Amino acid sequence: MQNSLMSTYNSPLKSKGMIAWVLSFLLFAFYLLIYFTNIPDSWANFVGLESKWNLYGVLYTISIVAGGLFFINTHGNSRYQKFRTFTLIFFQIIFAFSIPEIMGLFESKGFNFAKFWPLGIDLFNPKYIFEYPLLIIVYTFIGSLIVAPILTLLYGKRWYCSWVCGCGGLAETAGDPFRQLSSKSVKAWKFEQISIHTVLLLAILSTSLVIINWGLHFENSAGEWVTNYATFDLIASKIQGTYQFLVVAMLSGVLGVGLYPLMGSRVWCRFFCPMAALLGLIQKFGRFRITVKDEMCISCGNCSTYCEMGIDVRAYAQTNQDFKRASCVGCGMCAHVCPRGVLRLENKWDFRDTSDKEKRKVFDF
Amino acid sequence: MHYVIIGNGVAGINAANSLRNYDDEAKITIISYETEHHFSRTALMYVLCGQLSEQCVEPFERDHYEKMGFKRINDKVSKLDPDANKLTLESGKTVQFDKLLIACGSLPAMYGWPGSELDGVGNFVTWQDLQWLKEKAKTAKKAVVVGGGLIGIETVEVLLLAGIEVTFLVREDFYWPVALNETEGTIIAEHIRHHKVNLRLKTEFAEILGKDGKVIGVKTGDGETINCELVVICVGVRPQTDWLKDSGVALDERGGIIADDNLQTNYDNIFTAGDCAAVMWFNNVRRPEQLWYTGRDQGRIVASNLIGMKKIYKRGTFYNSAKFFDIEYTTAGLVNFKLDGEKNFFSHEEGTYYTVRITYLADNTVVGFNMLGRRWDHRVLVNWVDEKRQLEWVLKHLHEALYDEEFMPTFTLNQKVS
Repeated sequence: MQNSLMSTYNSPLKSKGMIAWVLSFLLFAFYLLIYFTNIPDSWANFVGLESKWNLYGVLYTISIVAGGLFFINTHGNSRYQKFRTFTLIFFQIIFAFSIPEIMGLFESKGFNFAKFWPLGIDLFNPKYIFEYPLLIIVYTFIGSLIVAPILTLLYGKRWYCSWVCGCGGLAETAGDPFRQLSSKSVKAWKFEQISIHTVLLLAILSTSLVIINWGLHFENSAGEWVTNYATFDLIASKIQGTYQFLVVAMLSGVLGVGLYPLMGSRVWCRFFCPMAALLGLIQKFGRFRITVKDEMCISCGNCSTYCEMGIDVRAYAQTNQDFKRASCVGCGMCAHVCPRGVLRLENKWDFRDTSDKEKRKVFDF
Repeated sequence: MHYVIIGNGVAGINAANSLRNYDDEAKITIISYETEHHFSRTALMYVLCGQLSEQCVEPFERDHYEKMGFKRINDKVSKLDPDANKLTLESGKTVQFDKLLIACGSLPAMYGWPGSELDGVGNFVTWQDLQWLKEKAKTAKKAVVVGGGLIGIETVEVLLLAGIEVTFLVREDFYWPVALNETEGTIIAEHIRHHKVNLRLKTEFAEILGKDGKVIGVKTGDGETINCELVVICVGVRPQTDWLKDSGVALDERGGIIADDNLQTNYDNIFTAGDCAAVMWFNNVRRPEQLWYTGRDQGRIVASNLIGMKKIYKRGTFYNSAKFFDIEYTTAGLVNFKLDGEKNFFSHEEGTYYTVRITYLADNTVVGFNMLGRRWDHRVLVNWVDEKRQLEWVLKHLHEALYDEEFMPTFTLNQKVS
C-alpha cells in the first residue's frame, strides 16, 4: 500500500469535492488573466519582477519543485520515481528557468533548450528561430527531427514526457494528487485518438504554411520584408494566430491546467499535445512497452486508477497482454502501485505479441 | 441454448465472457445477490481505506452486461432441482436452464465461538462486509483481528489506517506457517509490530465478550481479556454450498462441489468453478482452492466445457504472490511441504526485508522458491521447477528471474543453508 494514496477517495480535493471545483475555477481565472490581460504585470512589478511572464515562470518553477519534493517524499521508495522526479525538477530549474534568465543577462534572447518542435510550434518558424545563433538553430532541428525520435524508439516517449518536459513536469509534481481523475472509459480513449491527432495535423499544417509563406517573402530595394502573395500571407498568419490562441493558450494553459482538479493532470498531454501525439506514434514502433506477468493480476484496479493518461491498464493485466500504448508517458505509477508486482516498464526490442483476437472482442480493444 | 451462471465473481464473469466468445447467440443469465456489477474481491481493503473508490474495483465498464448480452438477475438461489433443470430463487421465481454453472464462491468460516452473534463482530470478505466495516471503522477505537492469514493482515492494515488501535491474534507460533518458514514469519511479524500493531502469536481465541448486545472485548485461550469494540474474524473461507445439501449435487466433506477434470459435477449439464469447486490440486488432492487466478482460470475453462469442447482443467506448478504491508511476496513450487531430505538455501540482504529461499532435494534439484521484498517473475521460477534445475545452475541464473522496477540495485546473496 502506498501511504500517500490511502486517503485519495476520502479527500474532497482529490475526488472532485467542492474545494476541487473552487480550485479549478481559480486556476481558470489565473490563466485567463495571464494570457489575455495585463493585470498580472502589476503583480509582477509588485514583487520586483519585470513582467507577468517572469512571474509565471517563477510560480511554475516553485510549483514543480515543491510538488516534486512532496512526490519524492511519498513515492521516493521507488528509485524510478525518484529518478524521474529529480530530472523533471532539474530540467525545470536549469533548462526552462535559469538558462533563459542568464541568457537575458547577456542581452540575448532567452532560449529553452528543453523544448522541441512541435511542442514549441515557433521553433520551426523561420522568422522566430533565425533570430538565434546558428548553434541553437542546429540544436533545435537536430533535436526535434533526429534525437527526439531516436530517444523515443529506444526508451519510449517517457524520456521527454515524464523526465524532461515542463508540461509533464507540472503534471507529475503539483498535479500528482489529481492523477486518478483521468477518465478510463473507452469513449474518452476514442475522443483522445481523434483530438490529439487533429492537433498534430494542425501543428504540421500551421508550420508548413508559415515556412512556405516565409519562403515567398523577400527583401525589396527599400529593405522591407514583403511578399507578392498577400492573400496567402493573410491566410497563413490567420492560421498561425488561431493555433497560437486555440492550442497554445487555451488548450495547454487554460484548459490543461484549469481542469487538473476535475479531469486529472494530463488533459493537455493526453488529448491535445502535438509532441505527445508525434512521439506516441514513434513509441508504437520502439522498444518500450509494459510487460505483464501472466495470471498474477488480481484485478484490483490500482494501475488503471492511478494511470494519469486514462489507460485501462487492468484490462491488459488481467488478460496477460504485454502492451504498447501511444499515450503512455511511462510514469511508472501502474507498476509502482501494483500490489502483486505484475507490471514492469521494459526496453526490449523483441515484443511478445500476446494480444488475443478472441479476447479483443470481449474487451473492446 | 440457455446457460445459467450462479455467481457474479471472478469465475462466473470469466465463464460468461468466454461463453460469449464461443457463441454469439447463446442466452446467458447471471444470478447473484451480492452486487449489481462484478467487482474484485481482492481489492476490498483498498476501498475501505480510500485508495480506490467503489467503482475503481469493477474490472469492466458498467455497460459490460448490456454490451455482452448477459441477463443479470439480482436474487439468491434457494433451491436446485437437477432433474427438472430448474432453479428456485428466494423471491419465489423459478429459472429454467439448459446448462448450469455453479460459481457461487465461498463465505467466511466461523467456528461458533460464543459471542459471535454480537453487534461489532464480523468478517471482511463480501461487499456487505465492506459496508459494515466502513461504518464500524468510523467509531471504533480498538479492534481485535483474529486469524493469521492474508485477509487478516490486510484487515489489520486498513483498520490501522482508519486510526484504530489493533490487536492481531494469531494461533500459530509464527506468522503464516502455511506460506512462510520461521525466519520469514519473524521478519513479517517484526514488520507488523513496526507498524504499531499489537501482534499476539501463539494466542488462541476463546470467546467474544459483550454487554447489551455489543462487543466489549475478547477472551483468549489463556483467559486474558482484551477490550475492544470491534472483532473481525479472518480464519478462512468455506464453500457457500449449504443450499445444495439435499439437491443431489455431490459435495465433499468440506462442502466443496466435487468437480471432475472437466469441472463437471455428477450431473451432465451442471458444472462448477471457483471457490466452491473441489478441484484437483497440484499435489493430487481434491479440494476447493480459493485463489483469484485459479478462479479466473477455471471460469475460462469451464466455458469451453459448457459448450461441449471437453477441456481438462490441469493445475500446474503452484505459485502465488501477496503483500504484507510494504513487503511483497512471491512463491513458486513446493516450499513448505517438508519433503524427504529437502534443504533450504536462504539469503537475507542485510538491513532490508529482502530474502531469497530456494528449497531443493538431496540430489540438488530445486523444487521451490519463497521470496520476500523484491519482485520476481514467477513464470521463470515455475519454469525452473518444471525443468528440475540444479541449485547451482539456479543460483547462477537467479538474476534472470528478477522483476524489480528499473534502477533497483540487484541483489546480493549471502548463503545460509539449513
